[in-house]
Amino acid sequence: MEVNFFESKAVLFVVKTAVLIILVFYGIFALLIIRQVDLMRKTLITQTSEILSAISIIHAGFAIGLLVLAWVIL
Amino acid sequence: MFSAYIENPTDCRFEGQDAQEKILLLLRAHPITNLKWIIPSLLLFLFPFFIPKFLLFLNFDMSFIPSTYVVVFLIINYLLILTIAFEGFLYWYFNVYIVTNKNIIDVDFHSILFKNIDVAPLKNIEDTQSSMGGILQSIFHFGNVFIQTAGTTRNIDFHSVPRPHHVADFILDEAHKLYGS
Repeated sequence: MEVNFFESKAVLFVVKTAVLIILVFYGIFALLIIRQVDLMRKTLITQTSEILSAISIIHAGFAIGLLVLAWVIL
Repeated sequence: MFSAYIENPTDCRFEGQDAQEKILLLLRAHPITNLKWIIPSLLLFLFPFFIPKFLLFLNFDMSFIPSTYVVVFLIINYLLILTIAFEGFLYWYFNVYIVTNKNIIDVDFHSILFKNIDVAPLKNIEDTQSSMGGILQSIFHFGNVFIQTAGTTRNIDFHSVPRPHHVADFILDEAHKLYGS
């Protein structure tokens, strides 16, 4: 007889908590990347710097969006 | 724009550049050095395609896992790839070596929020050395340039730059121009 661990609410709660903790750290990391890109583009000023800065902000938006999504759907 | 060897770049400035200071050479590590983040990114990209087969091989039925968890894990995986690729590109793009008509500048970003800038005046340059070794460096023609400066000034090293012998010669020529010899 096969045992399905994912039917247990306790297992799902532990997995959800772990995923949310990882995503919170990921969100903080994404915000740090924004600061890092800001530092970098002030050091070397090129036309591409603005695009990279925009990518870092979009990335942080995705990271925070995923945190909210995971909170809701899990 | 994304070149590793740019002579007289026009659309580029750096922090602390003087009004009369002109960038003569802008260098980055050779693009082939980006393989160290491109390969892990590709492997991680392919990872979700092989996981079901691997779990099937271990007699683990994936249908037990709720689909919402599968979706979230997939999104985390692809965000991780985005981070690896973006960070790899940022380090490559912003870790630059600059030769101006006054100074040699080595800009290093070692990790998040850690910046190191070495500046050596061209007039302090005493000697340059270049080295190229190994399969990749020989095939793609890149290597290291070591710049020895006078006195207690810190020496500057350019790592994995394209055309290292030419760069070493270029820097020495510019230093000689200042001495008038």
